[in-house]
Amino acid sequence: MLRDITLGQYFPGDTLIHRLDPRTKILVVILYIIALFVSTSYITYGIMAAILIAEVAIARIKPSTLLKSVRPILFIIILTVVLNAFYTPGEPIFSVWIFTLTREGLRTALFMAARLILLVMSSFMLTYTTSPIMLTDGLESLLSPLKKLGAPVHELAMMMSIALRFIPTLIEETQKIMSAQKARGAEFDTGGIIDKAKALLPILVPLFISSFRRADELAVAMEARCYHGGEGRTKLHELRFKGIDYAALAIMALALAAVIVLRNVGAVGIGGIDS
Amino acid sequence: MTDYAIKTEDLTFWYTPEEGQEPKKVLEEVNIGIEKGRFTCILGHNGSGKSTLARHFNALNLPRGGAVYAFGMDTKDEALTLEIRRRLGMVFQNPDNQIVSNVVEEDVAFAPENLGIPQKEIRERVDEALRTVGMYEFRTHAPHLLSGGQKQRIAIAGVLAMRPECVVFDEATAMLDPRGRADVMDIIRRLRADGVTVVLITHHMDEAVSADRIIVMDKGRCVLAGTPRDIFSYPEELRSLGLTVPDTVKLINGLDKSGFNIRKDAITIPECAEAVAAAITDPVPVSHKEPEKETPSGEPVLSVQKLTYTYSKNTPFELTAVKDISFDVRRGEVIALLGHTGSGKSTLIQHLNGLIKPSSGKILLSGENINSSKDSLRRARSRVGLVFQYPEYQLFEETVYKDIAFGPKNQKLSDEEIDSRVRDAARFVGIGEELFEASPFELSGGQKRRIAIAGVIAMMPEVLILDEPMAGLDPAGRDEIMRNLLAYRDETGAALIIVTHSMEDAAMFATRMIVLSHGEKVMDGLPSEVFAREKELERIGLTVPAATKIARELINRGLPLGGTYYTVDYLMRSVLRLKGGDENAS
Repeated sequence: MLRDITLGQYFPGDTLIHRLDPRTKILVVILYIIALFVSTSYITYGIMAAILIAEVAIARIKPSTLLKSVRPILFIIILTVVLNAFYTPGEPIFSVWIFTLTREGLRTALFMAARLILLVMSSFMLTYTTSPIMLTDGLESLLSPLKKLGAPVHELAMMMSIALRFIPTLIEETQKIMSAQKARGAEFDTGGIIDKAKALLPILVPLFISSFRRADELAVAMEARCYHGGEGRTKLHELRFKGIDYAALAIMALALAAVIVLRNVGAVGIGGIDS
Repeated sequence: MTDYAIKTEDLTFWYTPEEGQEPKKVLEEVNIGIEKGRFTCILGHNGSGKSTLARHFNALNLPRGGAVYAFGMDTKDEALTLEIRRRLGMVFQNPDNQIVSNVVEEDVAFAPENLGIPQKEIRERVDEALRTVGMYEFRTHAPHLLSGGQKQRIAIAGVLAMRPECVVFDEATAMLDPRGRADVMDIIRRLRADGVTVVLITHHMDEAVSADRIIVMDKGRCVLAGTPRDIFSYPEELRSLGLTVPDTVKLINGLDKSGFNIRKDAITIPECAEAVAAAITDPVPVSHKEPEKETPSGEPVLSVQKLTYTYSKNTPFELTAVKDISFDVRRGEVIALLGHTGSGKSTLIQHLNGLIKPSSGKILLSGENINSSKDSLRRARSRVGLVFQYPEYQLFEETVYKDIAFGPKNQKLSDEEIDSRVRDAARFVGIGEELFEASPFELSGGQKRRIAIAGVIAMMPEVLILDEPMAGLDPAGRDEIMRNLLAYRDETGAALIIVTHSMEDAAMFATRMIVLSHGEKVMDGLPSEVFAREKELERIGLTVPAATKIARELINRGLPLGGTYYTVDYLMRSVLRLKGGDENAS
């Protein structure tokens, strides 16, 4: 169960996408999400899907891996599809009991599903192709203007990267503690809600204690390695925009413009045929 | 005048006490000097103050009294803190808790980044440091997928990237397997050759042998200091400090006491063999085999049959962790389970009480398949006790009593039965009843460990499995745990299966040894049978006890010693026989 968490997982590689500046990738994803929300027609969704497919192909991420990323929100997608399909007023295709499937409903449902799926997949592509460190570096750099306002941008970025670093460690630790308590006869899957909640205590207490111990040891180790906040820090990987970054941003900006333009053209065109 | 890397003057330290409590001195008037370019070992039992002392070297702790100078700089001067920490790097015990980043090279770059070193030079330093520790090929890997030994090498690289003049290893080998330890010792050797000052805090006497100088701590004071030869010539004093001497010294001291005329300054294995060989002029051939410990026979209580387990089947991460393993466990047996990290030991032992279900094969407990029903699984959980590595990290109750009672409670025993189980278990591990109402978190590391073991013993298992029960403890603590476990075996007839990385420990207690390598059982037999296969053991990342190595050196020097030796005691008696001495000499 815990092993399935793919959030924040990074698949190392050396493709064009991997080499992009993290700031580029973050900005592209933001533009992509804006485009998704402006998108209202088959053509525009087609463009959006094509962009994602191209990205996946260039980054050599397995499609099956990407499909898995949608699994956690599958329920929400299905719910959205069902609600939209049956509750959008319009030209009925067929109806069963109180449910009426309309042509408009079907279309809306399809678009909503596409929007959600593309949204999730594009965000996951960001984490799949960008190491958490690069991601936090990128965020830190993008948000650095806020430092002037006194926002602790470096500290937040450092906290985030440490949290990401310790997720696998803590998952492993949780499993180990669970096994150890099971070996002492603890059962986690029997009894009512209160029993189950009580059964968590032998896991949570050691987990908290060990997390504090880890935090303490890590802090000492960081200090021993001369950590003294963000002041005067340099980077192994200095962020620098290259030609490819400008190209990627330009392509995405063009795509966004195309979506905005085509949204009306396409919607009218297809809508015209539909009606 | 001697040139010191670190010097302390009347160093006294205590942690800020809780309100209303008297401060407890952790360090008291410590005066030590660590010479530049030398390799110094700091020894001391758990809680003797050695780690606190080390943390003063680079201003992680500041003296309450006295002063500490690192390369002549007063650690109390805040303006110098960064400079001190750059020149004096420190590697800690748990590799997991030192690694900051998700990518190896980014982690190694952490310190140079903090120091504001230009990007191009960071790259150079990172590559250089990773090459020094032999982890360059892993530079883009995620640290959590590496073994403990590899992670520790990354942590060392992270310190070396500062190009320090002194590196302090604070029990940095304690959590590693023999191969991981050997790798770290190898790095230390290379650092010394480059003129770097090295300080190693350890519980392993064999690591201290190669030091230039040893400092022994006890109750916050420096009680002994000198060369390994000096220090190890005080075996009684060391024992009273919870320490011990290397097996080579044990052998020579033993021979010396038996009236042998022998050079007493030998501490490495070749020196020891040389000294023994030189003392024997007219050897009488000895062909006695080291007597085996009594091997229990009878019906197996636990039987593992053709066990195979594959992780993440049908995914790219598929990994067969154990392959076609079969063996029987009889009552009263003490089995040492050996193998390098990742050899499948942990996976195997978690099958024995049904925590993991086999991909194929079965586990029979008194003839019943433990995975055949929910009830048989539950029975297996009580009859086969499993103590994980560092079990003290699984304590959770408010009091010692309640924590030990957790297992018996889950077994749904009556209150009286639970009470007697808790008292018995506490007695087995030497925990007095006066501690029952204490919080387990207030106790020392060794006590916590024993309470955690008591928590499993309280379920009265017929087979008790322990994953490295002695890891991280000082020699006295190790002995005590081992005595506790053997007492449990003797009194209840239970079988013990002990996973260990220490060949010396295995040689001391095991009636039988099982060796795993890459998920397969490669050896299963009496200690003498297993230790006779030294070459094969080395090939799979293991080693043999010091006594076996000394005996081999003696045979190489032409002494007529037959058979395989693995305990110092027996080797000593055989050497006495060689000399034609009294057979019954002890």
